[in-house]
Amino acid sequence: MKKIEINPMTRLEGHGKITIFLDEQGNVENAFMQVVEFMGYEKFLIGMPIEEVPRTVTTICGV
Amino acid sequence: MSKPKLAYYLAGGCGGCDIAVVDLAEALVDVALQLDIVFWAPTVLDAKYKDLEAMPDGSIDVGLVSGNVRNSEHEHIVKVMRQKCKVLIAFGICAACGGIKGLVNLHTTEQLLDKAYINTFSTDNPEKVPPQTTVVVDGKYELTLPTLMDARPLDQVVKVDYYIGGCPPYHEHIGKAFMALLSGQLPPSGSWITMGKAVCEVCDRNPVLQGKSKKFATTVKRTIEGTPTEGACILEEGYLCLGPVTQGDCGAKCPSANVPCRGCGGPIPGVKDFGLRAISAIASMLDNEELVEQIPDPVHLFYRYALPSSFLGKRIKR
Repeated sequence: MKKIEINPMTRLEGHGKITIFLDEQGNVENAFMQVVEFMGYEKFLIGMPIEEVPRTVTTICGV
Repeated sequence: MSKPKLAYYLAGGCGGCDIAVVDLAEALVDVALQLDIVFWAPTVLDAKYKDLEAMPDGSIDVGLVSGNVRNSEHEHIVKVMRQKCKVLIAFGICAACGGIKGLVNLHTTEQLLDKAYINTFSTDNPEKVPPQTTVVVDGKYELTLPTLMDARPLDQVVKVDYYIGGCPPYHEHIGKAFMALLSGQLPPSGSWITMGKAVCEVCDRNPVLQGKSKKFATTVKRTIEGTPTEGACILEEGYLCLGPVTQGDCGAKCPSANVPCRGCGGPIPGVKDFGLRAISAIASMLDNEELVEQIPDPVHLFYRYALPSSFLGKRIKR
């Protein structure tokens, strides 16, 4: 089975990857989109004073 | 004569620095006309990693990397950037010192994944499956994800020629940096591209610049507990502004908007561990020791932007 990888996805913050699987005839059998980044804000924000959070979470995506 | 080639890679960042370059607006047209932008992924151009890997080593004059190095894909591509670029710049505080996303180093990967994918009241994951680095779907489609690592600033992975701080860097400062690059007027390799002044030195609220002397803060306040007096120093009023230890290439934008500086510009020259110097500076500006106990949440305050570049680099548990 042939595999085509498109990496990274254009103009996406958070890094996406597209993987396309082709069958023997060269037709698309299946395609997957993955977000390959993980941040972790849900955990590390715990304990931060609430008024500091808006200024901090704008860095989840600066676009 | 051919135009200098520029490449830009966004690693573990947010894209804000990329947009800050775009924020040069009309000035960007002048800069862009003088450059050949061969790669800007993933934010702007339709280039792919294999395009970068195919370029000859050392063929790109300037490489910008923003975002910290957080997973194996970032680690691989920044090494490719180092190979392909003659000059590599850590662009923005994430690349320079680790950034806000560096706060993940306070926790283990297991704890972070557990909170995001399993233990939150709004998460529907009954089989408690965290992300895997390899998965085979339907028995035949193999998919991979990069491996997660501790967040690191760029210079802990590859040699860095220049550093530019800011979250994001102020667009006028970026313009000046590009002009210096294009005219070859750069400081020695390994330096920060900065005016070298602390936020306080460029802040209109600095009492010293008004001919007065600085006073100790007699109280510690959260920003919700009051409004700074107009024209007065925010730190003196107890709001824990990190201006004294932060580079002021931003022109003290936050204090001019009544908001205390949080240190995104990076450390003033000569400081290796921003958090440590910030703790020492703030403590020395407080009137008495009891006030130190009142500082809310020190780690997210002093190490917000520079945890990975600090001496410890992360929380160490025994």
